[in-house]
Amino acid sequence: MNEPRRLKEFAVAADAAPLIEFRDVGVTLGGQTILAGIDLAIGRGEFVCVIGPSGCGKTTALRLLAGLLRPTTGSVLYRGEALTGPRQNIAVVFQDYARALLPWRTAAGNVALALEALGVPAGERAERARALLERVGLADHARRYPAELSGGMQQRVQIARCLAQNPDVLLMDEPFGALDAMTRQSLQDEVLGIVAATGATVFFVTHDLEEAVYLGDRVIGLRPHPGRIGIEEKVALPRPRDQLTTREQPEFLRLRRTLFDFTKSAKS
Amino acid sequence: MSAASRIPIGAGGKAVVVPVALVVLAELAIRLTGFRSDSVAPPSEVVVAAIQALTDGSIARATGETLASAFGGLALGGGVGFALGILLGSSAVLDRLLDFSIETIRPVPPIALMPIALMVFGFGARLEIAVVAFAAIWPILILTRAAIAGIDPQLIEVARALRLGFGARVLKIVVPAILPRVFVALRLAAGISIIVAVTVEITVNPVGLGYAIMIAGQSLRPALMLALLVWIGLVGWAVNFLLLAAERSLFGFAQPRARP
Amino acid sequence: MTRLAPVAWRLASLAVGILLVVLWQRIADARLIPAVFLPGPDQAWGSLVGGFASGTLLSLLLATVLRMIYGWLLASLLGIAIGAAIGMSPRARAYVGPTLELLRPLPAPAIIPLAIAFFGLSDAMVLGVIGFGALWPMLLATMHGFSAVEPRLYEVARTLGLSRLAVVFKIALPSSLPDILAGMRLGLTIALILAVVGEMLTGQDGLGTWILRAARGFRAPDLFAGVILLGLLGYASAEALAFAESRLLRWRPRTR
Repeated sequence: MNEPRRLKEFAVAADAAPLIEFRDVGVTLGGQTILAGIDLAIGRGEFVCVIGPSGCGKTTALRLLAGLLRPTTGSVLYRGEALTGPRQNIAVVFQDYARALLPWRTAAGNVALALEALGVPAGERAERARALLERVGLADHARRYPAELSGGMQQRVQIARCLAQNPDVLLMDEPFGALDAMTRQSLQDEVLGIVAATGATVFFVTHDLEEAVYLGDRVIGLRPHPGRIGIEEKVALPRPRDQLTTREQPEFLRLRRTLFDFTKSAKS
Repeated sequence: MSAASRIPIGAGGKAVVVPVALVVLAELAIRLTGFRSDSVAPPSEVVVAAIQALTDGSIARATGETLASAFGGLALGGGVGFALGILLGSSAVLDRLLDFSIETIRPVPPIALMPIALMVFGFGARLEIAVVAFAAIWPILILTRAAIAGIDPQLIEVARALRLGFGARVLKIVVPAILPRVFVALRLAAGISIIVAVTVEITVNPVGLGYAIMIAGQSLRPALMLALLVWIGLVGWAVNFLLLAAERSLFGFAQPRARP
Repeated sequence: MTRLAPVAWRLASLAVGILLVVLWQRIADARLIPAVFLPGPDQAWGSLVGGFASGTLLSLLLATVLRMIYGWLLASLLGIAIGAAIGMSPRARAYVGPTLELLRPLPAPAIIPLAIAFFGLSDAMVLGVIGFGALWPMLLATMHGFSAVEPRLYEVARTLGLSRLAVVFKIALPSSLPDILAGMRLGLTIALILAVVGEMLTGQDGLGTWILRAARGFRAPDLFAGVILLGLLGYASAEALAFAESRLLRWRPRTR
């Protein structure tokens, strides 16, 4: 039970080669081993949720994929090649949205930042920024500054900015943790809608077990000290998911129970 | 990466490396090239000149003159600023009524008032004190006013609940509440006072450190001039440091403000 | 009581100001203070009008303004550029930062004897002193601003793939703008003061020279006219900067 689980390659649809691979990844920072022996394969279009108690290294794992961090041992592969830094088609949604947006730019301006980085010609930017904001339901607030927007709206601006990168992979670090329950639920559904439309692969870190089960195709649970994979559950719930009916399914409740037990044992 | 980054120098070490290197370089450059000028002297000569001036009492006297004028003006201007600050902070009506007048007088650069003071007082300490006083009023007025406005309203309620008279209320509640911020204002104003005093001395007034440094320059004594320059900086730094230390020990409980 | 419209309060405040001027006139008329020290507002006004009519005051004012602005602009460009460079590099900050901070309390006028030794009593000397004096607050403020950029934004920049230049101009610079503008405001005040001091010392054409000569000649109305002009100059330049600041920092949340 204490051994790191080795997972077989997980094939989704017709594409057998995994998009993302962690091969015996370990991360040691400042003398502390944060992650050890992580083996993970994520297929194209998969929605993987990562849960675990504080200190289990889930944010570190996300930052490895974001290219913000390099593994101390092992390798992180994207499309079969080792990740050496951030990639333009891997987009990151940070938890602290207020600090991840430029306060001196409007919502549209913030989205445009991604377009500028991509080299989109100036004339097209305004239009594309508007279109992206429309996808997250913020078309009317395009000219507002982040300080004038609610937490949920700011997070949606961040999501819109990520979509501007046309990402193959979405990395989301507890994106809804600081929001109230209602906003959280509506944003969950928005993310599901976006993913269904774009076919993006998602690596979603969260504290919330139910959120993980609701959103994911697979839920990975990490144990802390050092962080390693403790549990892996496939979520065989039908899509599209629904806030009421999905959460009442017996399979949902079973998964919730299993993960809850895991989390309790992992904390000790 | 360069070799320098692999040498473990602490933060203090890093801070000192550049200035020390510059001083050493200056010393070598001037000595080796035999460069002589009216404006530049090798650091070693500067140090010698400094020691000379310190031991013969000339720097001490000049420093005393400058600081006396600076702090005299600070006391005068600070007092006026403090009183006005309390007045304007406590009465919104007065504050608004006097707003135009204050905003019109404040932008006048203190140095522009120097000729008026010169005309009235002639050369000497009073000239300096007058100009410094004008400069010192504003930071103290503004910060005192803000401090009064920033008093926790609950403290006022406490005063009312305890049925404190006006005098008692001021002494026991208002003054202690605003003292930390007023002290910060005092520290800032002290810095300004020294700068203004030295400026007046450099421009017209034949007393104090400003005058000393001008004389050193005019009599073609670059070593002394540079020594005085460093000394003036030291004095300003020392005053700020001492007041900061006093602030910390007196008001350690108040929130530590970042250096302005 | 404070329910009156802000406009009404402005007018009342103006009225109080006018009252004070009337008081000044009364004091001057009653010769409570010798006329040679305190001219009446009518005399000061007369000198102002006369000075402008003859063109003297205007050219002097212009001379001071230009001096102030040139020195300030030069100091701004240098200060912002150097401050940005140092601020963005933690290593530079560690090596150079403390020394620069130590130079903060140094009164810029103390540099004047040195500048005189180098440049003589010339216009170049005055400009040099203004530039030097105004440089420090701007450099230090810019350095502080650039060193305090939200680190998360740097990570965002990396994940978006922004070039190094883009990071400087699109993230670090706008983020530091409040600090830079505060430094520029301080720099402008210092520039004005040093312009006046420089003029007084070198006798170069300008308001500083004018008021000093007026004081030496006991010509109080001229002196007061000049002081009033300098006050107006200080006011106008501060207001102009405040206006620019409010436009540039429109995005700041309204904190009161």
